[in-house]
Amino acid sequence: MFEHIDPRSSTPLYAQIAARFRVAIAAGELRTAALLPSVRDLAARLRVNPATIAQAYRELEGEGFVEIRHGAGTYVRELAPGRRTRERARQAKALAERVLADARRMGVTLEELREAIDGVLGAKTT
Amino acid sequence: MFRVMLYTQWKWSRLIILLGTVAAFALPIISMQGAAHADRNPLEAQDLLRTVQSWGTLYPVLAAALGLFVAMAAWAPDHRGRHVHALTLPLPRWRYMLLRCASGAVLLAIPAAAVLAGALLATATATLPPGLQSYPFALATHFVLATAVAYGVFFAVSAATARTAGIILAAVGALIAVQVVAGVANVDFDIVSPLTMIVLGPAGPFAIFTGRWMLVDV
Amino acid sequence: MTNVIEIDSLHYRPGKGFALRDLSIHVPAGAIYGFLGPNGSGKTTTIRLVLGLLRPQSGRITVLGDRMPDDAPKILARVGYVPEQPHLDPTLTVNEIVRFQAAFYPTWDGARAAQLLRQFDLDGERLFGRLSKGQKAKVMILLALAQQGDLLVLDEPTDGLDPVVRRDILAALLEYVSQRGAAVFISSHLVHEIERICDWIAVMDDGRLVTEVPMEQLKNGTKRLRVAGAPATLGPTPFALFAREPATAAAETWVVGEWKPEMAGYFPGIGASLQDVIDLDLEDGFVELLRSFRGSRREGSA
Repeated sequence: MFEHIDPRSSTPLYAQIAARFRVAIAAGELRTAALLPSVRDLAARLRVNPATIAQAYRELEGEGFVEIRHGAGTYVRELAPGRRTRERARQAKALAERVLADARRMGVTLEELREAIDGVLGAKTT
Repeated sequence: MFRVMLYTQWKWSRLIILLGTVAAFALPIISMQGAAHADRNPLEAQDLLRTVQSWGTLYPVLAAALGLFVAMAAWAPDHRGRHVHALTLPLPRWRYMLLRCASGAVLLAIPAAAVLAGALLATATATLPPGLQSYPFALATHFVLATAVAYGVFFAVSAATARTAGIILAAVGALIAVQVVAGVANVDFDIVSPLTMIVLGPAGPFAIFTGRWMLVDV
Repeated sequence: MTNVIEIDSLHYRPGKGFALRDLSIHVPAGAIYGFLGPNGSGKTTTIRLVLGLLRPQSGRITVLGDRMPDDAPKILARVGYVPEQPHLDPTLTVNEIVRFQAAFYPTWDGARAAQLLRQFDLDGERLFGRLSKGQKAKVMILLALAQQGDLLVLDEPTDGLDPVVRRDILAALLEYVSQRGAAVFISSHLVHEIERICDWIAVMDDGRLVTEVPMEQLKNGTKRLRVAGAPATLGPTPFALFAREPATAAAETWVVGEWKPEMAGYFPGIGASLQDVIDLDLEDGFVELLRSFRGSRREGSA
């Protein structure tokens, strides 16, 4: 889940980590009441500052995805119905924006992009 | 803290302590060899005294060697690591040095005890010619003092930084230079001889190494 | 929030040539504070001064609330130190070294020492001198962590070690920090490691402090800009302009610090256009910072 944490990216590390958790929660990988790894364990595992993990968890709590119970750990909250779908839609939109921005920078037109997507999808189904 | 210091000091100096202890025990016994007969005439008493005296010259050598090697062993690892480890330990430098000094001193008690044991054994198994007496305790005490002086001096030298050693050498060199200049200028100024007398003479700290080391004497 | 290390206007000059000049450093409690700088910039000397191994000519050094080097033994009881070169006796075994160290610290945690020996896969009966470089580094970190200090001072702890050992050491360090909330003062060449774990960063060059800022500020604030149509002479800029070079026929590359997105509005004001904002990672940012610092010093002395 955390193989692509990049300290060199312009996105702060805590934001990258929070994003990973958001994806996992939206996809259902982390179900309601699931326990997130402790700050200590995750900091050691990822080899990042524990304050970074704590900040990621606080951000997730602020957005209503998790609940930090002091002394007991951080748990995934029960999400309102449709919340997961909305979150996935939001992530899909961000993904699309990134692809389009990259395409623009590379000089790839929208048509060329669509053709390429169809090609990849077609290749997958054959 | 003292226990671990003693443990490491033992680990570094155990060979020299063991060898020294064996030598310290054997020396009085060997020096008394052939003294088991009661029927010695005065001439043989002289022989005995000569033997004891000639073997006796080894005591100061052994004391100095023990003092030297145990002091060196105390400081060699520190010098290798440039004292970084010792200086980052949470105790003042003088306390650290005291612990080191004390642990070496405790270990040096072993060969000192061996001298006493050997001396007692040697005089117990020997029958002395009339007119001669044995002084095992005096000998052992003499040995302890000599070892202590040697250890103290070499410990101080080993513990000193290069700068302090340099200062000491510079002071000695300056004294000698002053003496030489005075001699050349024909000035009646003698500082080296009185100092030598003070240091090595009967009243000086190194006097302990001179003199007679006699297990038996008149 | 108090500072665990506070250095004020420090001057230290061991002899001809090299000198630490007017150094002021503040390490907040609980921070992981990274110390970057080229070789010979004075990082190890600063660490030695913080540990009381050297005495400064002028200035104050306060560590954990007490003065260095006056209160050194009291402070050192709470400071775990990992030096660059192994400083332990090679003729002792690992267990003997651990036992020796334990005797000097009332706060020693024997259970943690035993657990770290297992975690680091170290054989307690092996002589220290026979360990590999990585294993020696692990032993030294083990000693610092088992001591349960409130401050850890690490001088290039993972330099020259293979990636697996580096991971193990960093993981153990971070576990300790999150558990105890200890502060860490770490000097390193390995910029990407510093980038991951430090929340504060100080840069040194030639005995002087270049900058001391929170990590995010240095990382996010340093950018490369593609600018077109800028005039030859500029007035004051809202950001720090480190360098300005022609890139293409029409545009220049500017390297700036303390950048904020709102500052894009500056360019129309001078008749220029901002074409692109490119992120710099810490390594590039560090290089640019040094370049501009050295340049301004040269100009200042000219």
